[in-house]
Amino acid sequence: MGQPLTEGPGPGAGLDLFAAASTEGAWTVGEVTRRARAVIEAGLPPLWVRGEITGFKAWRSGHWYFSLRDKSAQIRCVMFAKQNYMLPVPVDGMQVFVFAKPSVYEEKGDFQLTVSELLSTDRDGLWKLAFEKAKASLMKDGLLDPARKRALPLFPRRIAVVTSPDGAVLRDIQSVVGRRWPVAELIVVPAQVQGAKAEASVCSALNRIRRLPVDVLIVGRGGGSIEDLWAFNSERVARAVAAMPMPVISAIGHETDVTLCDLVADYRAPTPSAAAEAATPDRAEVLAHCGVLGQRLARALRIASRHVVERLARTGDRLARCMDYRLETSGARLTAYGARLDALSPLKVLARGYSVARDDQGTVLKSVAQLPSGKEFRLRVTDGEVNGRVQ
Amino acid sequence: MAEFSKQLERLEAIVRKLESEDLDLDEALKLFEEGVERLRVAREQLAQAELKVKKVLEVESSPSAPDRPVSPADR
Repeated sequence: MGQPLTEGPGPGAGLDLFAAASTEGAWTVGEVTRRARAVIEAGLPPLWVRGEITGFKAWRSGHWYFSLRDKSAQIRCVMFAKQNYMLPVPVDGMQVFVFAKPSVYEEKGDFQLTVSELLSTDRDGLWKLAFEKAKASLMKDGLLDPARKRALPLFPRRIAVVTSPDGAVLRDIQSVVGRRWPVAELIVVPAQVQGAKAEASVCSALNRIRRLPVDVLIVGRGGGSIEDLWAFNSERVARAVAAMPMPVISAIGHETDVTLCDLVADYRAPTPSAAAEAATPDRAEVLAHCGVLGQRLARALRIASRHVVERLARTGDRLARCMDYRLETSGARLTAYGARLDALSPLKVLARGYSVARDDQGTVLKSVAQLPSGKEFRLRVTDGEVNGRVQ
Repeated sequence: MAEFSKQLERLEAIVRKLESEDLDLDEALKLFEEGVERLRVAREQLAQAELKVKKVLEVESSPSAPDRPVSPADR
């Protein structure tokens, strides 16, 4: 009786039981655990498991060992140091989600979970779970790569803002931009930032801006609960932000709430005012810079023209010397001519004792005919004139 | 209005060129004149006193252009 043994001990073997348990028929512990591990790993892919932490122990190596339990069962878990180094240490009794690979630890024959992610459900746990899933998906597509971050424009002409049209966020942004950089134009695209329609509304606002000639975009939302900020944790909004053609500044919630929108944006600002400051230069500083440039311009021209100015000065000197010489020689000649003219002067003749007679018309009286008896005339001598009459 | 950053970049390039190169007076003067003009325009742009705010309305069919100016009272 009995069945031939093909693979391992069969159930209910009567007399062959002993034979089946012989060295040849029995599995080794190693074989069975290896087989169990293969079966479990093939049948249970990595999955999210929820439970309560119990028996938590962190080893010196940094690895964490604990169990997860609920009312009816428990599973041993290990989370290695390279997976847990960024996490706060959990405590027994904490409700958690773990993302884990079910397996068998062959050395102990333990069925266990190898945990790669651990999230607390105690506060906003479900949101966090959704967040982490979306974040993982964004990361997988490279959208969280720091190399994707674009530089913000230095002197934006058009700044777009997606936010609630009547909130403090817009008021703050408008006031900061108005003070620092009124040179720009602010393009406000109102959106619902809260509630069921927020996701669609923000996406549609982003879509409209995509086609506008905008240099930088601010996506803003005041503080609120994690539920209030949900739209900015939606994967759809995050992907729309990542796809914007211009740099995006994100200012969502309080500084401590990091949203997916913050993660994909090119710059994350702690507040809407800080976002507006990041988007703009300070006009006073730019004006001062212009002043410096103007001074440098003038100075550079002075230096560039220095050689020419020096040459001009030298040429001017030569010209002046040349003129001086000319004037000197001309002056000497003038003196000579003057002397000669002086010699010819009628005054000189008068000085020698000659005199000139003129009638009352001023006509010079040269002949006897012009001087009948009784004619009155004026006689010019060297030192003056006298009246006379012919006898 | 020419883009302010282009204006300023060109101005900076002019200053650098004028400072670093041995130029003909003619060329230097040309650069200087251009620099002064760009400086003037840049200052003019900076002098704009009031922020312009436009609102793109929630209408899905309004396509590309910002469509109406908004005064501070509209906020």
